[in-house]
Amino acid sequence: MRSLFPDPGNSAPANPRSVGSDSYEKNTPMTDGPLIVQSDKTLLLEIDHEQADACRKAIAPFAELERSPEHIHTYRLTPLGLWNARAAGHDAEQVVNVLLTFSRYAVPHALLVDVAETMDRYGRLRLDKHPVHGLVLSSVDKAVFEEVIRAKKVAGMIGERIDAESVVVHPSQRGNLKQALLKLGWPAEDFAGYVDGEAHAIALDESEWTLRPYQREAADSFWHGGSGVVVLPCGAGKTLVGAAAMAQAQATTLILVTNTVSARQWKSELVRRTSLTEDEIGEYSGAKKEVKPVTIATYQVLTMRRKGVYPHLELLDAKDWGLIVYDEVHLLPAPIFRMTADLQARRRIGLTATLVREDGREGDVFSLIGPKRYDAPWKDIESQGWIAPADCVEVRVTLPEGERLAYATAEPEERYRLAACTHAKVLIAEQLVKQHQGEPTLVIGQYLEQLDELAEHLGAPVIKGETSVKERERLYAGFRSGEIELLVVSKVANFSIDLPSAAVAIQVSGSFGSRQEEAQRLGRLLRPKEKAADGTQKPARFYTIVSRDTVDADFAQNRQRFLAEQGYAYRIVDAADL
Amino acid sequence: MPSAAPRTLADQFRTWPDTQLTTLLEARPDLATPAPHDSSQLAARVVVKASVLRVLDSLDALELTVLQAVVQGTDPAELPAKPDAVATALERLESLALVWGSPTRPVLVVGELLRLPAGPPAGEVTALLEAASAPARQILDHLHETGADGRWSGGAGPTADLVEAGLLARIDDRHVTVPWSVRLGLRLADDRRLDEPPELATSERAQPMVDRAAAGAAFEFVRRTELLLDRWGTHPPPALKAGGLGVRELRAAATLLHVEVDVAALVIETAAAAGLVDQGMSDSVDAGWLPTDLYDAWQLGSTSERWGTLARAWLANPRLVSAVGGRIADKPVNALSPDLARNWQVGLRSDVLDELGRLPADRALAAGTGVASLLDRMRWRRPRRPAMRLHQVGPTLVEAALLGVTGLDGFSTFGRQLIAGGDATKSLDALLPAPVDHILLQADLTAIAPGPLEHDLAQKLSLVADVESRGGATVYRFAASSIRRAFDAGWSAGEVHDFVAATSRTPVPQSLTYLVDDVSRRFGTLRAGHAESFLRSDDETALTELLHAPGADALRLRRIAPTVVISDVPLGTLLPRIRELGMAPVVEAVDGTVRVARPDVFRARSPRRRPPAEAGARAVARTGAVVTAIRAGDRASASRPNRGASASSPTDVIAMLRQAAESGEQLVIGYVGDDGTVAERMVTPERVEGGRLTAYDERSDSSRHFAIHRITAVSRPG
Repeated sequence: MRSLFPDPGNSAPANPRSVGSDSYEKNTPMTDGPLIVQSDKTLLLEIDHEQADACRKAIAPFAELERSPEHIHTYRLTPLGLWNARAAGHDAEQVVNVLLTFSRYAVPHALLVDVAETMDRYGRLRLDKHPVHGLVLSSVDKAVFEEVIRAKKVAGMIGERIDAESVVVHPSQRGNLKQALLKLGWPAEDFAGYVDGEAHAIALDESEWTLRPYQREAADSFWHGGSGVVVLPCGAGKTLVGAAAMAQAQATTLILVTNTVSARQWKSELVRRTSLTEDEIGEYSGAKKEVKPVTIATYQVLTMRRKGVYPHLELLDAKDWGLIVYDEVHLLPAPIFRMTADLQARRRIGLTATLVREDGREGDVFSLIGPKRYDAPWKDIESQGWIAPADCVEVRVTLPEGERLAYATAEPEERYRLAACTHAKVLIAEQLVKQHQGEPTLVIGQYLEQLDELAEHLGAPVIKGETSVKERERLYAGFRSGEIELLVVSKVANFSIDLPSAAVAIQVSGSFGSRQEEAQRLGRLLRPKEKAADGTQKPARFYTIVSRDTVDADFAQNRQRFLAEQGYAYRIVDAADL
Repeated sequence: MPSAAPRTLADQFRTWPDTQLTTLLEARPDLATPAPHDSSQLAARVVVKASVLRVLDSLDALELTVLQAVVQGTDPAELPAKPDAVATALERLESLALVWGSPTRPVLVVGELLRLPAGPPAGEVTALLEAASAPARQILDHLHETGADGRWSGGAGPTADLVEAGLLARIDDRHVTVPWSVRLGLRLADDRRLDEPPELATSERAQPMVDRAAAGAAFEFVRRTELLLDRWGTHPPPALKAGGLGVRELRAAATLLHVEVDVAALVIETAAAAGLVDQGMSDSVDAGWLPTDLYDAWQLGSTSERWGTLARAWLANPRLVSAVGGRIADKPVNALSPDLARNWQVGLRSDVLDELGRLPADRALAAGTGVASLLDRMRWRRPRRPAMRLHQVGPTLVEAALLGVTGLDGFSTFGRQLIAGGDATKSLDALLPAPVDHILLQADLTAIAPGPLEHDLAQKLSLVADVESRGGATVYRFAASSIRRAFDAGWSAGEVHDFVAATSRTPVPQSLTYLVDDVSRRFGTLRAGHAESFLRSDDETALTELLHAPGADALRLRRIAPTVVISDVPLGTLLPRIRELGMAPVVEAVDGTVRVARPDVFRARSPRRRPPAEAGARAVARTGAVVTAIRAGDRASASRPNRGASASSPTDVIAMLRQAAESGEQLVIGYVGDDGTVAERMVTPERVEGGRLTAYDERSDSSRHFAIHRITAVSRPG
C-alpha cells in the first residue's frame, strides 16, 4: 500500500507523499462541475456543461484525450501525461487543484496522492553540462540517486562518482540513460542543452499565406521546450510547423519522413513556403543520395541493412545538423530510436497526428525525442475551419449466396479477404462514384486484385506499390489539378500524401480495422475545401463498404468505435437503401 | 476518605463509595472476572503481578513517573510538573489501586516491578552529567529517552565509565539501567514538562475539502466491497485448509478491484468483520468464501448506511489486517486466516483516532512531520506499551483514509460522528453523489451513468452492457457479447431496445440499434438440445460454417440432416466452445422451450454477532452486578463473628496472606511439615507468588518459603 505518510525521520527535501498545499483553503469545491474523476484514472468531461470549455483547457496539459464522442469526452491520467505536464512547467499542486475544482463528485484521495507522487518523480534527477566532467547526472534526493545508480540497467552508462549526489555520464549515453531512467520510473530532466549546429539562413516566405495561429503556437512551444513532439491532426499543416521550427533554428536541418513521395512533398512545400531554393534541399532516398543544408531522408533508407550494418547511418553525422525533424513519429521504426539515442545534443522535433503507437513505445518517444510540446484536439481545429468536417457512412452489403458458402467453408486466414473482396462491393462502389460525379473521389483498398478489378470496372487509374514514383507523382498532380477525378489507390496512399482536393473516399478493404490506418485515410479527406457560395463547408464523405455478417463487419465495429470516439457522426446504411 | 488511615487494602475498598469501586473495576476489568466474593478477595487480586502489569501499560508518562517517584520515596511534588497535574495523577493511581493508604505507598508488586537503584545523591547528579564524555552522554540520553535497559557485559568503554561514575547502575551480569536520581536529574534538565504531552504537528486544511476527499474514499470503499462480493457470490474463492484466503485469490481480488493487494485485504477483512463474508458451500467448492445473507440485506441500504456498517466493523475489528501479505514468524500471512486477532489492536486504533479527534475541525496532521509527532504523543500516552505496537499507527492511519474516516489527513465530519457513536448517515449522504435514474448513450457504444445508478437499473444495465470504468460515474460498453448475454438471460430484442430508449437521456445512436438487431438476427440461429446433444439450424450455411470452424473437430460434430448436427460431447463442454467460435446457440429444454441461463448466486449464513453497543451495555450491567456482589460478600463476612481473623479455605487463605503482605502484618499459619504433622508458625508474609509464600519466620528468624497448598489455616495472632 502506498502509505500517505512517510516514515518518521524521512529527511527527503520535499515530501512526495502528501498532496497537502495551502491552496486548498482558497478553493471551494464545486458540486455541479463538468468533470467526473473515475477511480481507474479516467476523467469524464460532460461537454454540454457551461464550464466544459474552461475545464478542458485546464486538464489538457496533463490528461490525454482518449475518446471524444458526442456527449462525454474521456481523458486519461498516465505517468507520461503527468510528466509531460511537469516538463511544460505545471506542478502537482495545479493538477490536484484543477481536479478538485472542476470535479462534480469527491475525488478519491488515493488518486490525488498518486498524481502528486507520479509528478514528483519527474525532475528528481537532472542531466547537466559540467565544465570539467562534461555531462553529469545529479539529484538532491540521495535515496533516489542511490537507487538509480545501483540499477543494473544504468550501471553501464555512468562513469565516475563525483560526489554523493552526482555522477559522470558519457555524452554518448545521454539518450540511453534517459530511456533507462524512464523505465525505472525516474525520468530525468535534461538541462544539458543543445549544439547550435551549422548555421544556415532559413526564413518563412509569408507573402501569399500566413502561418495559422495554432501552428505558430506549436512552433513556439517546441522552441521554448528545446525538443519534443507536436501533435496535430492530419491535414492541420504539420509540415508548416516543421518549417517554422526550421526558421527559428536557422541551421542545417535533417528531415526524416516515411517515404519518397512524402519526401518530395516536403521539398515542394519548403520551396513554396520558405526562402529555401531547390538547390539547398537534398533528397536522401533509395533513388537519390544528396546531402545538402536541408536534407530529407526516408526512414527506409536509413534503416536499410546490409550484412548486419546500416550503410546510410553516417548521414546522421554527415553534417553538423542543428535540427532534426521526425515526421509521423508514431511510425518511427525501432532502429531510428537507437540512432536517436546518440543525437541527444541536437534539437529534435517530432510531428504526429497521434502519440498512440501500436507497439506501445510511447515511453521511448518521450525520453528520446522529448515530451509533448503541443496538442490541439481534432475537433477544435475543425471548428475553427482549418480542417474539413467529415461524414462517415458505413454501407452494408450482403454476400451473394454462392460467396457466402465459400466464405463459410474458407480457412480462417482467408476469410477476411473473401469477405472484403466480394463483387458486391464493386457494384456499390460504382453506384457511389456515380452519385458523387464531379467531386474528386478516392477509392481505397487493400487487395491488389480487388483494386485492379475496381480500376477496370470504374475506368480509373490505379496506384499501388509497384507504380513508379514518377507515375505516382503524375497521377497525384493530375488529381490535384482536377484533370483526374477518380483514383483507385492502395495503402501506399495512407501516409503523408497531400491530396487537398479529395472530397469523397470510398474504402473497400483495409488492414483488419487498424485504428491508425483509419485515422490516416480519414486524414486524406480533411484538408479544407473551398467554401460554397453561402460560406458553408460541404462535409467530406467517407464511405466504407462492409460485408454483413462476416469478419469484415467485425472489423467495421472497431472502425466505427474509433471514428465515434473521435467525434465523427457515423451512419450505417443498407446497400439497398442507397 | 475517612480520617483514620485504612489498615489494609481491603479495608480501604470497604470505605470506598460504590462509584469509586465501579471506576476501578471498569479500568481493570480483569479484576471482575469471575466476580470476587468480597473486598478482601478483591484486594488480593489487585496485587497479582499479571494484573498490575496490565494496568501499568495503560498509564501515561506523567502517571508513570509519579508512581515511580512514590516507589522511590521521592516526593512527587518535586517532579517538573504542575502540582495539580501531579495531584490528579496521584488520584488516578489511587483509583487504580496502584497506591493506597496514608501516607501514600505503592502496592508491593508495583514496588518490585518498578524499583530502580537510587543512584548518586541528587545534588551531585548535575556535576556528574557535565563530567560525562560525549559518547557516554549519548548512551545515557538514548537510554533515558527510550526508557530501556542497556546491555553491558563488563568491557571497558563509555558504559564502563558511566557505571564507574554511578550514572548507570548494574542490575545483573549483563544489564545496566539509569538509576532514579539520574533520571530525575535528566528530567529536570529537560525543557519539556512532564505534564505536557507532545503537541501534534498540524497544518490548516479546510473541512469541506477534507470531507469531500473522505466521502470519495468512503464511496470507493463501499463500491469495492460490493464489486468484490458480487463476484464472490458467483465465483466463490476456495478457503484454505487452515481457514484463510489463498495468496492467488487475494491477488485476483486486487486485480478485480484495480487496487494493490493490501487494499484488497482491507476490503475483504472489513467485509468479513461486518459479517458480510463467511465460509460456506457452493456447487463448485466445498469450503469457499461466500457473501452471507446479511450481504443481501446490506445491499438494500443506502451508500451511507452501508458505509456505516463497514466503518463500525473496522473500528471493532481486532485483526491485524496490515500484516496480510507479509510474514509473521517467517510464515506468510493470509487474509481471513484465523490467527490474526490481537487483543490490543482495537485499543490502539481508538487511541489513534482519539488523538486525531482532538484536533480542531480545520486542522489536519501536517504533511511530513504529522505522523512522527503522533508517534511521540502515543509514546507519551502509553510509555510502557511494547514499541512494536506503534508500528501499527501508520497502517491504522492509512486504513482510516481508505475507509474515509479521514481525508487529506484530517478527520472527516461523518468520521467524527461515527466514532462518537452517532449517526453519520446524514452528513455523508450530503457529500455523496445522488443516485441517478438515467444514462447517456453515445455513438461509440458507451453508456455513461453520470452518478451511482439506482440499484435495479444498475443490475439490468450490467446485464446488457459491460462495465468499463467505475467511480463517481460508471461507463458501460455495449458489445455483441453483452447483448447476447442479455438474450441468454431471456430478454428479447424489443425489450433491449425499450430499455435503452427508456433509460437514456440522449437519443439512442443508430449504431446501437444496429448492434442489437445484428445480434438478435444471429442469436438463436442455432438450437442445441441436452438429451441428444444436438445442434439444429434452419440455416444450412451456418451449420456448414460451424462444421468447418477451426477446432470444430474436437467437438465431434456430425451432420445428420441439412439442418441438424449432433455431437456426443456433453452439452456443458460443447456450448462454451461453440460460443468461442462466435456462434450464439440457444439451449432448449426437454419440452422444446427455451432455457434461460443466469449464473447461480450463492450465500453463506451470516454469523451471529452482538453489536458493540449492546456489548458495552452488558459490560456496564456486569460491573454493576460485580460491585453489588462484593458488597454482599463484605456484609456476609462482616456478620461472621471472627471477621477476617482466620481463614481455612484456599481462596481466603491466599487473600489473607496477600493482605498481610501488603500491610506487613503478622499471622499464624498452620503448616504441614515434611513429616506430615501440622505445626503452627508465626510469620510475617512478604510475597505471595507462584504457589509459594515468602515470609519472615519468627522461629527460624529468617525469610523462608512456604508452599501454599500445605498451609491448612491462617489466623491473626491473639
